[in-house]
Amino acid sequence: MGTAQKKTLGFKLNWMNLRDAESGKVLWQGDDDLTLSHKEHEARVPKKILKCRSVSREINFSSEQEMKRFRLEQRVFLNSEILEEWFFEFGYVIPGSTNTWQNLIEAAAANQMIPPSLLSGNVVIETAFYDGNEEVSRSKVRLYYV
Amino acid sequence: MGLLSLLRKFQKEADREVRILLLGLDNAGKTTILKALADEDITHIMPTQGFNIKSVATTGFKLNVWDIGGQKKIRPYWKNYFENTDVLIYVIDSTDKKRFDETGVELLELLEEEKLSKVPVLIYANKQDLLKSVKPSEIATALQLSSAIRDRQWQIQACSALTKEGIKDGMEWVYSSLGAQKKK
Repeated sequence: MGTAQKKTLGFKLNWMNLRDAESGKVLWQGDDDLTLSHKEHEARVPKKILKCRSVSREINFSSEQEMKRFRLEQRVFLNSEILEEWFFEFGYVIPGSTNTWQNLIEAAAANQMIPPSLLSGNVVIETAFYDGNEEVSRSKVRLYYV
Repeated sequence: MGLLSLLRKFQKEADREVRILLLGLDNAGKTTILKALADEDITHIMPTQGFNIKSVATTGFKLNVWDIGGQKKIRPYWKNYFENTDVLIYVIDSTDKKRFDETGVELLELLEEEKLSKVPVLIYANKQDLLKSVKPSEIATALQLSSAIRDRQWQIQACSALTKEGIKDGMEWVYSSLGAQKKK
């Protein structure tokens, strides 16, 4: 087995959540194994999240293998257009570790102007993990505002 | 002062990325402090088996707080996270007298690291809400901090991650030490 394959097999995206970052309260949490790539996951998120002044997205992942240049690319799509894009360099990942990354974002004014009915079902968060240039995992979550 | 308000203070200075590293022995309360900074629920915290990062981003400015697990088997990996650190926050369980020596040794080793040289250090004397907690001044004496730390700005701050007392004051110090660094 190649090292790339080993990394993929030893990697698990355990959960993801969305919070109101002002109050710290969790508004949605998904515990599916989000690493099951090529499958699109669904999240039913309370509509009120769209009114939050700031929100946070948090992910929890485990890796059996050590990684040295671990990084993430997260994109939020509305239909096929990119609404937001985040890049984060973790660098070193401890073998056998479980880690969390939380991104607190101040809501964009434009975002608040789009009515929930237009956003619901049309917003997808795509998270891709790499070690250097090697893709380790990719997952997609489609958001429904309920 | 939570992370968001800290960020809002920084917004005036665009194009800056600040990295805060949170270290200390296991059970010192690093993750609880991190969560308290974002007003999150602190009732179900498990020992950290890797890292927890909070990133706060706005146009042109990023604040990243890295909390690395403090268990003995994880400490050898700390060195992988030193690079580009702007402020070190070292957390001590003020009730764990038996381990003051151990925590002192770890702190001194960190202070000798080249990649952390001159990095300001805030020491949180955590768990001050508990009766058997030792006062920060006594911890500073027990660990001989004033003779050990000579090459950088440092501060010891009493706090309780549980009641949040002192957390804000510590972060104010972090903010001011960052301002001082920039002027250099």
